[in-house]
Amino acid sequence: MTLSKLSLRNAKRQARDYLVYFVTLVMAVSFMYAFNNLIFLEEVQTLAESIAMLPLLIVLASIVVVCIIGWFVSYTTRFMLQRRSREFGTYILIGLENQQVAKLFFLENLIVGGFALVIGILLGSFLFQMMRAIILTLFDMPYKFAYTVSLRAVLLAVLYFLFIYLYAQRKSRRRIRSMKIYDLIYFEKQNEGIVIQTSKKRRKIFTASIVLGVIGTLLLLMGSAVPGILGAACIIVFLYGFFLSFASGVPAFFEKRPAGKYQGQTLLIFRTLTAKLATVGTLMATISLLFTAVLVSEGTGQCIHAILSNRAKQESCFDLFISVEAGENDYMSDYSDYIEKNVPVKEYRLYDIYLNDNTQIMDHIEKYTEYYRYYDGDTMMKFSDYAALRKMLGYPEVTPVSGTYLVHCQYYLKDIMENYKKPLPIGDSELMPGGVYTEYMNQNWSGNGHQYILVVPDEVLADRAVNHRIYAAMTVEPVSEAQYQAISSIMQRIYEESAEMEYYSSFYAGSVVKAEAASGIVMMVFPLYYLALILTMTAAAILTIQQLAETDHYKRQFVLLGKLGMDRREMAKALRGQFIIYYVMPAVPPVLISVPFIYNLGKGAEPGIMIGTSSPFMITLAALALFFFFYAVYIVLAYTGLKRNVLPE
Amino acid sequence: MLEIRNIEKYYGSKNNVTKALDRVSFCVADGEFIAIMGASGSGKTTLLNCISTIDTVSAGDILLNGENIADLSAGELAGFRRERLGFVFQDFNLLDTLTIEENIGLALSLNHADPHMVRQRIEEISVKLGIVDILEKFPYQVSGGQKQRAACARAMVAGQSLLLADEPTGALDSRASKNLLEIMTQMNREMGATILMVTHDAYSASYARRVLFLKDGRIFNELLRGERSRSVFYHEILDILALLGGDISDVI
Repeated sequence: MTLSKLSLRNAKRQARDYLVYFVTLVMAVSFMYAFNNLIFLEEVQTLAESIAMLPLLIVLASIVVVCIIGWFVSYTTRFMLQRRSREFGTYILIGLENQQVAKLFFLENLIVGGFALVIGILLGSFLFQMMRAIILTLFDMPYKFAYTVSLRAVLLAVLYFLFIYLYAQRKSRRRIRSMKIYDLIYFEKQNEGIVIQTSKKRRKIFTASIVLGVIGTLLLLMGSAVPGILGAACIIVFLYGFFLSFASGVPAFFEKRPAGKYQGQTLLIFRTLTAKLATVGTLMATISLLFTAVLVSEGTGQCIHAILSNRAKQESCFDLFISVEAGENDYMSDYSDYIEKNVPVKEYRLYDIYLNDNTQIMDHIEKYTEYYRYYDGDTMMKFSDYAALRKMLGYPEVTPVSGTYLVHCQYYLKDIMENYKKPLPIGDSELMPGGVYTEYMNQNWSGNGHQYILVVPDEVLADRAVNHRIYAAMTVEPVSEAQYQAISSIMQRIYEESAEMEYYSSFYAGSVVKAEAASGIVMMVFPLYYLALILTMTAAAILTIQQLAETDHYKRQFVLLGKLGMDRREMAKALRGQFIIYYVMPAVPPVLISVPFIYNLGKGAEPGIMIGTSSPFMITLAALALFFFFYAVYIVLAYTGLKRNVLPE
Repeated sequence: MLEIRNIEKYYGSKNNVTKALDRVSFCVADGEFIAIMGASGSGKTTLLNCISTIDTVSAGDILLNGENIADLSAGELAGFRRERLGFVFQDFNLLDTLTIEENIGLALSLNHADPHMVRQRIEEISVKLGIVDILEKFPYQVSGGQKQRAACARAMVAGQSLLLADEPTGALDSRASKNLLEIMTQMNREMGATILMVTHDAYSASYARRVLFLKDGRIFNELLRGERSRSVFYHEILDILALLGGDISDVI
């Protein structure tokens, strides 16, 4: 039997015994390949100018991913080396040189890694098609399935993979070369010495770390840079301190309550856990840290996505929307001249926005929500203009009732406005509330009012001074990048000309707003999810590998317990208990830290943005759901595997 | 207390049957200390496994306090093991994640004993077995002899009536062996424990009041100590072993 044949056989066995590792490797490669494919996708580069940064961001994210997967592979390889040290010792015992054994192990890992690479790339190209579909949908472009393999992306994936593997294998090679037969054969015994150590110092660390954890979370919630960094540092110290000292905290807890530990399966569950923590405390802390990073990235991703897409919805409802402050010069004609000549328009409306003499409505709103006072009076528009805008946007028709005013506001103000029943004085007349509408109508800053506008009968506004003029239009074709640039330069020119007069104008093109939001989402949210997914998978896989490695230990334990008369149901219960705590523990601190963080992040956005399915509560829930979905897959895999192998028939 | 009636145990398939136990019958009275001796493959561990309900017999009956253990369901068997039987194994079989105290208390918590009583019961038994000082330690921190005494404590702490010991001195040096056997004798005499010990070591067997010799699955001979001294009894056991044949003499 040649070395390479033995390697091949061992590789098969490795893929089977460490299936979780293999699957995670495949998934990691496929994600890496799919994301890197975006770099070379020409379609993407033409989508929007701002997306040119995407390749750089993906490469940066990939470098982080390479480091994480490198750590994962290196950790697992070292772990396998420990588990199989007796086998390697036997090879040396029967006459193989250390170098040959190192080569054997290297080949074996190369075969497993190579397979993972090939399968990962095949899978990744489907994943890439999914991502392409998502991106094109975001940009309102037609998607057609086209199975392509980009040679450059493959080469890049291979390159990343070589970095990961060579790093991990170099370490194990050095380790095998310097090992003596005795060490290899008795490697397992070396570990057993350090099962549990208790000391007062650890108890102190335990208390201190909990305090630091709370402080760290509070600092993170403050939301600015310096406290944020300090908070993150506190949390890192907390996690390591907590997991390293937890093992001693539990016995101390039971020392004070001696009866508690003999209750039901408590004894077995907690001892198994503390024994495990004593040996893998650092690892648990690292995993907890990774989980925190996962939840924070997923929450941030959710948040950015919600902010960008919801803002865009508000600002992109008209194909063209120009607002100019009223004054001596009619700058609006500068715009309309250009548009008339260059942009085919289906329908347009030029209308005025007025201010009331009081802020009665603003005062009411301010009572219930945080509101930024952008105008000195409540904004108003004529009913005829309003009806025309509704028609242009395809919203249902509204019939006027004399003596009333309507409110058109952002959705979050709906209840507040519907509860308002007081008459509203405008000049000499007094109007009663007549209804509330909340469709998108560009209601930010100098648009159709800032988040709300009052729609009043035309005659009420007849003699009132205009605050700003608006040109709103639907175009035949979406406004192109060139048209957008041209209109922007007009705006720039007006700004410069009117510097002294301080004429303010603003301009939105629906297609450009959408494209910018889409490219923002692709550039910020995609890399965040990319990192989050890879982190979840590697961390969960390492936990699972650790857990499955305990199979023999659990088996011995349950055989003995069976002899002592524990029945199968109780064993299953104890196993489940051990399992739940093992997997829940590293997830508890991340959840406690990230839930307030994400919630707070969602609250931080301007009002009216984080509502409905993207309310702070919902995005927190979504981030947790996404994380626990992938985590649960690993937990179920590990539990079914372990239960089958461990519990006696 | 224990009655073994004509039990038989076969292993293997139709064409290749191995008879591990062949019509074995004997009785154990309350408070007895019996040793079962035999070479490897003589069926002594099979016999112990059948009595301890870990294995089932092919034919015959095992009655403990008049109750036939073959009639019990799996759940009842587990309960039976918990409440009536105590085990001491060659390799101690203590859980290495639990302290000595917790290992002993485990037997009680499996029996759903009142958690407040546990500590007291452990103290009582560990004073008797001389392991009070090591209660806080983990199995890897104590000697083999201490581990085995802890195993004895676990076997007795829940008030089990029958102590089954499988080569209890197998992994101990001679001093620790002597110490353990004296403790077992003490448990037998002072605490009224009924002990059934399987061994292939004549020295260990000489501590028992009665020795059964097993060969090829059958009871070959039986020896009672009566009023003789232990050393005389030891020599008599050796004589019987010589009769049993060469294969066992090499372990003496």
